[in-house]
Amino acid sequence: MIDFADVAMRLFENMYYLVSVILFVIGFHTMLTHSNLIKKVIGMNIMDTAIFLFFVSTGYVQGGVAPIIEPGVEQAYINPLPTALILTGIVVAVSVTAFALSLVVKIYEHYGTLDAEEIMRIRSTES
Amino acid sequence: MTFINVIHAHSTVLLIVSFLLFSFLMPILERWKNSWCATMAVAAHVLAFVFIGNLSWRVFTEGTIHYELGGWSPPWGIEFVVDYLALFMLITISTVSFLILIFGTVDLTHELKPKVLGLYYTLYLLLVGAMMGLAVTNDFFNMFVFMEIAAISACGIISVKSDRECVEASFKYLMLSAVGTGCVLLSVALLYMIGGHLNFAFAAAAIQDVAHIYPNNILVALALFSVGFIVKAALFPLHVWLPDAPSSAPSPSSAILSGLVIKIYTVVYLKLLYKVFPIELFDLLPVFDMILILSALSIFFGSIFAIVQEDIKRMLAFSSIAQIGYVFLGIGLANSTGLTGGLLHIFNHAMMKSMLFLSAGAIIYCTGIRKIDDLKGIGLKMPVVMGAFTIGAMAMVGIPTTNGFISKLYLALGTLDANKHFYLAIILISSFLNCLYYFPIVINAFFGESEEEDGEEEIQVKKLPLRMSVPLIILGAGCMIFGIFPKYILVIIERAVEMIL
Repeated sequence: MIDFADVAMRLFENMYYLVSVILFVIGFHTMLTHSNLIKKVIGMNIMDTAIFLFFVSTGYVQGGVAPIIEPGVEQAYINPLPTALILTGIVVAVSVTAFALSLVVKIYEHYGTLDAEEIMRIRSTES
Repeated sequence: MTFINVIHAHSTVLLIVSFLLFSFLMPILERWKNSWCATMAVAAHVLAFVFIGNLSWRVFTEGTIHYELGGWSPPWGIEFVVDYLALFMLITISTVSFLILIFGTVDLTHELKPKVLGLYYTLYLLLVGAMMGLAVTNDFFNMFVFMEIAAISACGIISVKSDRECVEASFKYLMLSAVGTGCVLLSVALLYMIGGHLNFAFAAAAIQDVAHIYPNNILVALALFSVGFIVKAALFPLHVWLPDAPSSAPSPSSAILSGLVIKIYTVVYLKLLYKVFPIELFDLLPVFDMILILSALSIFFGSIFAIVQEDIKRMLAFSSIAQIGYVFLGIGLANSTGLTGGLLHIFNHAMMKSMLFLSAGAIIYCTGIRKIDDLKGIGLKMPVVMGAFTIGAMAMVGIPTTNGFISKLYLALGTLDANKHFYLAIILISSFLNCLYYFPIVINAFFGESEEEDGEEEIQVKKLPLRMSVPLIILGAGCMIFGIFPKYILVIIERAVEMIL
């Protein structure tokens, strides 16, 4: 017998993971099912953000503070490594987004539409 | 000599840094001395040969090289490891990309606007540097960064022509590779959560300890890694980006994409599978069987799709999907003969597929023909190009005395060792299918009647420049030499396999 209260409590304690997984699925779904190219890029960003949230929350310690060590003070510090890594990850995501958007601009110049299905239709009628 | 000492001590990182440095010099050079760009790109490769020569000498005399970046020891710092597998990939990448580059210095002036020519070399060197980084890195996050560099620069060299097909293909690749790297980063997070290390060796030890407490984490991480790398390596159900990308891009881009970029991800996947994940996990989840099924599908459908293509470069791209299936077949067989065959096929296919793409590029350069049906009677007008194409086609089918035969032989022996006879049948069927789409081109080109009597004017053939024919001749000779004397490359591969298993 599953204790629902216990499950709910554990889910609440791991809220960051739960939210990031939900965000990941939203982003993934947006990216793959929408035919609008801008929406695809937005979906990609949501997905990336979800992964960053997940990664950063792996380093969080309950009640911890930023790891600026003061001599003589005993307290819990969070793990700074995931945060530092995700800083790089954000930069990478920004550059990928910029590149994707520039490609979208080019596609719009060539086809006059942002709809992926419309572009498919134009290509199939031409060739 | 302190200078020699510096090279000797730091050649692992200098190899990658020199590529990055040269690639970022290109935009400056492009404004200042436009004609030097190609020479400098070649110079970067020559420099890389020096470093790789040093590395291979050290690996063969002293064993595996562990290089600590910035002097920080492994659990904290980034570590580069050059073992036989990495060395094998470094040699493959540097040789093939050098030959493609030599070809490209002429072909690109024809295919690209002069304005973007210098910038193309920036992207090209970045891509080669990132691939070499992926081959030697021993750190999860470093791997992710190199993957993103490789993805963006690969998209760049697809879209560089900026006509409509290229841009669309590039966008498709960018989206799918974002899915791939996203999955990989998420699984890195899952492994970091339980292991607390980013270094492959330390993570593997930590995961081994906690595997029984968090089996779900590891399973999800393995699934995400598999999806990520299968998208990147274009195995069958997730291959949709590959046919568009090389068929619309300039020929050197297609050659490096199909020949090298998809291979490096299979090698990284292999490294993770054997080095990081605990062996007991594979009893829980039959991941090798899944790889085998996917590779069989990939081999079969890649060939079937290739048969119906009309555009020569598109056909070659579909053929790449079939050939990457062989590499995964070698990984999935998980015995030494099969793995040797798979790794050997990485090298062989890098040579033959880049040769085929370059000869297709040479045909397009000289005549402007892209349709397979229009190639009738072209063989006698362009003997070097069609000769190279014929050798490539024979190697693809796996005729003895070409290198394709050796790797297929090893794979076939591997299926027998693993007692999986079904996959032997797949290899045989695929070889027949390869015959079905490569040989009509060759036969048509040499013996087909060109339709001159219809009053159509004869195909205008430009003369092939020396810098385009020499790489084709070297690659063709390489295909034959490694088909007759495979032991020169097997020396490295057998030691690599020994170390992996």
